[in-house]
Amino acid sequence: MKRIVQPSCVPLPNPGGDSPRFREMWSRRELLSMSLAGALGVSFSGWLPRLAAAAGASGQRHKSVILLWMNGGPSQMDTFDLKPGTPNGGTFKEIETAAPGVKISEHLPGIAKQMKDLAIIRSLSTTEGEHGLATQLMMTGYQSRSAVVRYPSLGSLMSKELGSDESDLPNFISLSPMRMVDAGFLGPNYSPLTVSGASDDPNTRANLSLEDLAPPTGRDPKAIKDQFDILRFMQQSFGATSDAAKAHQASYNKAMRMVETQARKAFALEEEKAELRDAYGRNRFGQGCLLARRLVERGVAFVEVALAGTPGTNNWDTHADNFNAVKTLSGVLDPAFASLMKDLRERGLLDSTLVVWMGEFGRTPKINPQGGRDHFPIAWSVVLGGAGIKGGQAYGKTSPDGMEVTDGKVGVADLYATIFQAVGINAAKKENISPEGRPIPLVDRKAKPIAELVS
Amino acid sequence: MTRHAPSWLLVVLLAAGSAAAQEAKSTPDVKGPPPAGPKMTAQELAEWIDERFEKEYQRLSVKPAPAVDDATYLRRLYLDLQGRVPTVAQLRDFLGDQGSFKRQDYVDKLLTADARPDRYARRTSENLARVWRRMMIPASSPNAEMATQLEPWLARQFAANTPYNEFARKLMMAQPGMPARGLGGVPMPMTPADPDAEAALFQQAIGGMPENLAAAYARVFLGIRLSCAQCHDHPFTEWTQKDFWGVAAFFSGPPPMAEPGKPATEPKPPMPPPADQPLPAPTIQATGGAYENAVYTAKLLWQKEPLKELPKGQTPRQFLAEWLVGPQNPNFAATAVNRIWQYLCGRGLAGAVDELDRLTKEERGILDELSRLFVESGYDVRWLITGICKSRVYQQSLTAVDADGFAQRPLKTLLPEQVFDSLEQALSLPIAKADNGPRWSGERAQFVARMNEAAPDSPIDYKGGIPQALMLMNGKITADATSLESSRTLRAVVEAPFLPPEEKIETLYLAAVTRKPTAEELKYLLAHVQGQKDEAQQKQAYAQILWGLLNNPEFVLSR
Repeated sequence: MKRIVQPSCVPLPNPGGDSPRFREMWSRRELLSMSLAGALGVSFSGWLPRLAAAAGASGQRHKSVILLWMNGGPSQMDTFDLKPGTPNGGTFKEIETAAPGVKISEHLPGIAKQMKDLAIIRSLSTTEGEHGLATQLMMTGYQSRSAVVRYPSLGSLMSKELGSDESDLPNFISLSPMRMVDAGFLGPNYSPLTVSGASDDPNTRANLSLEDLAPPTGRDPKAIKDQFDILRFMQQSFGATSDAAKAHQASYNKAMRMVETQARKAFALEEEKAELRDAYGRNRFGQGCLLARRLVERGVAFVEVALAGTPGTNNWDTHADNFNAVKTLSGVLDPAFASLMKDLRERGLLDSTLVVWMGEFGRTPKINPQGGRDHFPIAWSVVLGGAGIKGGQAYGKTSPDGMEVTDGKVGVADLYATIFQAVGINAAKKENISPEGRPIPLVDRKAKPIAELVS
Repeated sequence: MTRHAPSWLLVVLLAAGSAAAQEAKSTPDVKGPPPAGPKMTAQELAEWIDERFEKEYQRLSVKPAPAVDDATYLRRLYLDLQGRVPTVAQLRDFLGDQGSFKRQDYVDKLLTADARPDRYARRTSENLARVWRRMMIPASSPNAEMATQLEPWLARQFAANTPYNEFARKLMMAQPGMPARGLGGVPMPMTPADPDAEAALFQQAIGGMPENLAAAYARVFLGIRLSCAQCHDHPFTEWTQKDFWGVAAFFSGPPPMAEPGKPATEPKPPMPPPADQPLPAPTIQATGGAYENAVYTAKLLWQKEPLKELPKGQTPRQFLAEWLVGPQNPNFAATAVNRIWQYLCGRGLAGAVDELDRLTKEERGILDELSRLFVESGYDVRWLITGICKSRVYQQSLTAVDADGFAQRPLKTLLPEQVFDSLEQALSLPIAKADNGPRWSGERAQFVARMNEAAPDSPIDYKGGIPQALMLMNGKITADATSLESSRTLRAVVEAPFLPPEEKIETLYLAAVTRKPTAEELKYLLAHVQGQKDEAQQKQAYAQILWGLLNNPEFVLSR
């Protein structure tokens, strides 16, 4: 019998989830932070920068990217590329979407309504079938197994291209319970601020708040300013001659700016209407998508939100009982993704915000004896939408049994080129210089954007 | 050279590497047992290190950086051995000591003096146990939390100065006597008859399966990353899937593993091997990768052919353990030395500590020589640490400028526990259980957990992000420490009527960063204090200076 759990296939934490206790905690924490915000509002109101500053100096809003990361590898056969009625098809039905002719899973009805702004790529073919290596591949666009440099993640690349050194918030924010791929050779300036850390404890990091953002009570703005002046003097006195000192300084400079601006209340989800919060789904991923919108609104260049589990399922790594697990996960994904698209559109942010839905690989068309599907990188799907993407279409085709790509085959580099093109970056012509002085293009120079998706 | 401070090491490697690096990464010489001879003292070892490096400096025409001053030396030594900064009193005593061997004597004191109340030796053992636990099971691995329970056993080994080969053998052969305490679960009674049963926690923390064990033992004790060869032949080194699965095969039999957090089934003793006839070599079925289900036979590294049979009376694991720790193994002693050197000096003596297989024989020069001495010493860890800490090489300063041609030491990042324990020391936090100090109230655990989210893999990296910075800036410990109502250190300094402002600032510096402020620092900070409009504001100014000291890079980076 094939062993289900692969050696590197470690169970990922599912902090908090949707347990009643967690919900209770959430609302209690909310009340707490509201009263805290109220108390702080007085002392910080004088130097809170204008919220409208999301647009840069030129008045032109820069592009942003939201990556919805499906940890574990979601099943394309049960989400965006169904084969109903075939031996590999499984139990799910297809439904019509807002885009004529494009059909998706019956468990994604909300996303179906947004299909005019979404494009499915059904013909992605990649080369890594192990979680760690595949995650590296999909999050950097490069194969890491023969790497001579540590490749930066998409978020780090994008925050460098789209972000600004002058922004009050970090240019790259990761809302994820596990560590994702970091800035690689780009270093600490382009590392993500990870908001939901590794803790399993719902009391600490499960609820997407940023702890210790507020200075202790009783410190007035002048005291904070004096402290920061002293610290800046000490930083300068210590010098930044080594990587460690530079990294320390970079983190502190960002942290100080966030305290000074109180992160422009980005994390105050309680400011949102209860109905909207309900619509996104009262869970980590749903609220994470809402927070992503608030962050993008405030000019953050790249936000990643991981769907790493729901109560009762670990993540998309459905080696057993695939259909129940995918149905449950779809129940979390659908309202969040759909609400995000709708919300971005209604706020006029969809033209400047690219939304990317993907995991590290797809899953085997063949259903295994445990009713599961295993790792499958040969023919699978990702979804793009928003900024620069011609929505309402499904690009590429797989064979009736789902085993191979029959039309429009693309690799990860082509996908990356498309993503960059959508936000106005000609990636093949741009490069970063590694510490050893090697030029590393943003994507492999041979990559081609998918012309049908981006103009 | 802009990115890396050119340490002596880098200089050495670059120079030696030019021609020799092109040589095939051939099997290191397999040496016979070392000649028996009178053991060097630790002081002689320190001299040997300095002479050896002197030769290397001359060969490469580089100058060693000058030695650090007493205060910096003491800070280094305390952080490296005690895992915390010295107190102001300890520092003042040391600065006042006129003895010419005071540095050397202090090394011995911190490693061996165990009288109350300081319990130096005990703290050093506990600190080294944490360092070793972190090296063996990095904070980012799934069972890192469970691995902290390995520390008491590790601390006992360091306290008893267990020879390193014996230490490794115990970690290899340990049998779980009783189920370990589960992750956050209810503590189970642990009264194993075997004092080394706890060592089995290592195997449990890395996941018990043959492939995990093979990868972990090869990395920890041989300094090689074999795991890449699990699914494909290694791209840079000689390792193939035959190597990986060949080692894994040794682990395919007993001892039985308890699932982490679950009560073990009846702990079964491994089948005693028949004394009169050899067992056939064990085999294993591969998982994952292109050769899923291929069967591999046990094979030692650096050997071409798989084993045919085991020697009489040995289990597969015993056989592997003896090979692993044996003096013929080219990487065992070298990896131990390289790791200890890296912990104390920031970088390994040669190459990256987990990539020893990527070095040429030339590049391993000094490392192999020192490793031979380590074997001759009887794998004496305390002797090695003492010798390094007493050497001039250990005492080299960071040079202020990134000057080429200087052999210098890199900055080191404190481990999470070291940051907390230094805060505790610098701030005179209550440490007794009765006071419900942060050590006991759960604050330490929370603090360390947050720091662990950004713990670096190497001592010279700093990975802390915004959450870590915010915790030190605005978190409860700092808030209390910089509040005139609740901070012991601050009140003691601010309220002392006899202390002039200069000395108040100086005391805060001594407590937090183990040095006096420079003239420029003093001038700037005095102006800040004296620029306040009233006495209450002046007191707040000292709080702000202390806040700055706890948050400045010097607090979490060891010079």
